[in-house]
Amino acid sequence: MGLRKYLEILKIFIKTQLAWRGDSVIQILFSLTKILFASLLWGTIFAGRDEVAGFTLSSMMSYYIISSFLTQLDMSSKVSMEISQRIRNGTFSKYMVLPVNIQGYFVAMEMGMVLFHLIIYFITSVIWIFVFRIKFVFTPDPAIVAGIGILILLGLFFMAQLNYYLGLLTLKYEEIGLFLMIKDNLVAFVTGSIIPLTLLPEHFLWIMKAFPFYYVTYLPSMLLIGRLKGELGMGLLALSCWCVVLQAVIHVTWQNYRIKYDGVGI
Amino acid sequence: MEIIKTAGLTKNFKRFKKQAGMIGSIKGLIRREYEEKQAIGNLDLTIQEGEFVGLIGPNGAGKTTLVKMLTGIIAPTCGSVSVLGYYPNDLEHEFKQQYAVVMGQKSQLFFELTVEDTLRLFKEIYGLPEEEYESSRDYFVKLFQVQDLMHVQVRTLSLGERMKMELIAALLHNPKIIFLDEPTIGLDAVASKQIRGFLAEINERRGTTIILTSHYMEDIKALCKRSIVINHGCKIYDGDTEKLFERFQKFKKITFTFSEPTLLPNLEFDARILEQTPYKKVIMVPKENAAGLLRELMNLLPTDITVEEEEIGTIVERIYQEGGDGLA
Ligand SMILES: Nc1ncnc2c1ncn2[C@@H]1O[C@H](COP(=O)(O)OP(=O)(O)OP(=O)(O)O)[C@@H](O)[C@H]1O
Ligand SMILES: [Mg+2]
Repeated sequence: MGLRKYLEILKIFIKTQLAWRGDSVIQILFSLTKILFASLLWGTIFAGRDEVAGFTLSSMMSYYIISSFLTQLDMSSKVSMEISQRIRNGTFSKYMVLPVNIQGYFVAMEMGMVLFHLIIYFITSVIWIFVFRIKFVFTPDPAIVAGIGILILLGLFFMAQLNYYLGLLTLKYEEIGLFLMIKDNLVAFVTGSIIPLTLLPEHFLWIMKAFPFYYVTYLPSMLLIGRLKGELGMGLLALSCWCVVLQAVIHVTWQNYRIKYDGVGI
Repeated sequence: MEIIKTAGLTKNFKRFKKQAGMIGSIKGLIRREYEEKQAIGNLDLTIQEGEFVGLIGPNGAGKTTLVKMLTGIIAPTCGSVSVLGYYPNDLEHEFKQQYAVVMGQKSQLFFELTVEDTLRLFKEIYGLPEEEYESSRDYFVKLFQVQDLMHVQVRTLSLGERMKMELIAALLHNPKIIFLDEPTIGLDAVASKQIRGFLAEINERRGTTIILTSHYMEDIKALCKRSIVINHGCKIYDGDTEKLFERFQKFKKITFTFSEPTLLPNLEFDARILEQTPYKKVIMVPKENAAGLLRELMNLLPTDITVEEEEIGTIVERIYQEGGDGLA
């Protein structure tokens, strides 16, 4: 019964996404050009070679498509933006007066946006794979795929939590741009969109594993192309722990900072 | 039953004091000076279930701050507050389920979507059964005559149209207490009359407690039996609205018209002549002298007499200036 509220919130955010059709089209085009660029780049690197760091060209491209798919799916930066903006201009009260769990509201919002983009990006990725005849490498084991599905969901949830937490910090610090920048760069680095992690030395990967971001995009992408199978269980466990810890931090933060909200404005 | 009770309620805001100009902005980066601002000071207030209370006071008096504390949006600095038996800032769902708050400039609607979409969301959030939702929605749509606006994007609505929609969204769940912070801002005469009629009706029929903030004294006089005047964060009057206005209604404006050119006799009491032509005299007198003036000028055989109250703005000015003296 309580869940119906959140389902409706999820629905309303799918509807808002639909209202901004133009945005979605631009995002799709942008993601296409990124993949195109990557295929050119990797094509040059692989010219005359069969394998680079244990990757074939098609497994590298598959990795790239999957990981950029997952990266784009994560809409959570909208959560911190919305919270921080509303706290600063005093309209956060919009959420405080409704009988809903505020974090639940934002998680449902994130899920609504993810669901919408999931469909769009899925279609584009499939088209892409066909048009460029990429030999898509994909793990065949359904049990593993199910496990990966859970890992991806946990990852999205974790990112929503993290951004909710950073948004709440506005209550104390007013300006959270710096935190957001640190987060974005860390995410970009650890998830391998700056440098593909596989190209880094082994002991470097160990450091990465200490960060939750490793399990958010990198691990599921690698698992989906059939690598690192042994790390699935570990990844699920690690990410769950991160979620639990962060939830506790959020709870304490909200209890302490809520009273700092001064609701500026008329 | 006491539905709202506060004792010694106080809210101090700390705000960063910035000097003007670029230099001032840079100084502010390095060292920040804060100033304490008391928005509400030591306020005792009791409101019974079913009351219709007007909250008035000049700009910056602390009205909105009080409403924010009563709805739990901000926490009091000290003092106690209890609304429906809850401490508002605990933000419990059962509490929030029972009140509605409409603040003139804050929106609950999704601008890209239609009003109907937002109302559907609110139906689920407040857990309204389908029939209740539909009858409630249809009632409001009919009341405000907004049938044609239910299926357009909210951002295309005019200020007044949007305000009506905000009211519908806020009141859909039939709350026990309604807090209205300047709800008639931007509404035309017809719409504000509809809203007034509606508020009076639910207050009477359903016994809904209503706290109304407005700078339109017409609203307050027409609706609120009880008024609370706040200035500088303190309560300076709390009591019957009619008595308040009567008390500060100090003068009467009387206009006499004559068919022949007439000269005014010497008036004994302190009357002020506002306008004087051979055929027309406009005189302002303290209200206790009105009868005397009339009696005296009747002898001059005027052809027409009008007795007017003072302008409401003047009265309000007086209330805010000297309201504290011996009234609270
Ligand atoms: N967040 C805040 N930080 C600092 N000072 C504040 C804050 N909010 C309000 N104030 C100050 O507190 C006082 C009361 O403000 P409030 O908004 O309650 O006034 P009001 O009675 O609603 O006035 P108005 O009729 O203009 O709406 C004002 O002097 C205002 O400047
Ligand atoms: Mg105000």
